[in-house]
Amino acid sequence: MAAPEQLPPRLGSALDELRATLDRAAELAKEIGTPPPGGGELDSRLADVESDREELSSKLAEYEHQVGRLMNLYVATYQLHATLDPAEVQATIAEIAINLLGAERFVLLFWKTAQAAVAEGRSGECEIAFAQGMEDEVGGVYQNGMYAGGDPVVDATLSDGVLRIGPFDGSGALACVPLTVQGATVGALVILKLFDHKAMLRAEDRDLLDLIAAHAASALFAARVYSNADRKLKTLEGLVALVRRQ
Amino acid sequence: MKPKKVLVVDDSKLLHRMFEMMLRGFPLVHAFDGREALDRLAEHKDVEIILLDINMPRMNGLEFLTAVKAHPEFARIPVVIITTEGTEDDTERGMQAGAAAYVKKPFRNEELLGVINKLTASPAA
Repeated sequence: MAAPEQLPPRLGSALDELRATLDRAAELAKEIGTPPPGGGELDSRLADVESDREELSSKLAEYEHQVGRLMNLYVATYQLHATLDPAEVQATIAEIAINLLGAERFVLLFWKTAQAAVAEGRSGECEIAFAQGMEDEVGGVYQNGMYAGGDPVVDATLSDGVLRIGPFDGSGALACVPLTVQGATVGALVILKLFDHKAMLRAEDRDLLDLIAAHAASALFAARVYSNADRKLKTLEGLVALVRRQ
Repeated sequence: MKPKKVLVVDDSKLLHRMFEMMLRGFPLVHAFDGREALDRLAEHKDVEIILLDINMPRMNGLEFLTAVKAHPEFARIPVVIITTEGTEDDTERGMQAGAAAYVKKPFRNEELLGVINKLTASPAA
């Protein structure tokens, strides 16, 4: 059918309206496609906020890690000084070494004349106060409950009281922690092997090793002094009671 | 929401003290070996998660875990093994015995907290 040459007035007006609406729609579509004025600035601010969020998130994770680390140090210190029983202090040192440092094999050395070492700065034989994972040790420098000497790192730490973290050539020690009381070295914690799932001592382990050096010795020393004094007191009380009965 | 009760089974006093500090929002029940832990479970039937060491005197962690998983009332409780036994075989043995997660000592506190929060989160409706 051929189109009429002239549209009826109502239809023409409707078509004009439709054209106007389509033009308006096209304009609106163009506006939507074009970023509003200042859109670039908004994008940049959004990117800044996202970057700040990432930074805060990473700082929060670091903060939580530090809190955890400080908490471990606090608990370790508290537990070391929570008793005057030498065996329990030794057990706590072992628990710190195993549970917090990941040590599988280690020995806790203590001068036999530790009290004299503190009082007069001299040393004597070094006994193994505690050993972990040393059941298969045959020969070597740790024998019959004594450290015979001969490991250069352990000897050096026992002599100068300096914390050493290895591994070292010519030594079985991964770390050697001096135990010092009033400036005198009364023994050492020698870490010989870590658990397989802990590849190496981390930088944060240094704090724990420092803590052991500062607190383990004084806790153990105080417990031993108390234990000796208590034993002497009980002996004296027994003697007095015996004399009174006679 | 009521905090979830946690049973800590470890023969180390140091670790118990650490968990007290770390899990301040959670009511804790303490046991120092597997046998004592079974007694504590019988007393505290509302325990909702168990943190378990493996090497312990009297009854070790794996024996305790087997007993828990065989118990109709306690079998649903998720158990997190926390131990120095860190080989693949150890992990597999623990998971086969019914552990929900395995954390190697020494652990980072946030790592363990993440595991606990995941296991104690209420299931989606």
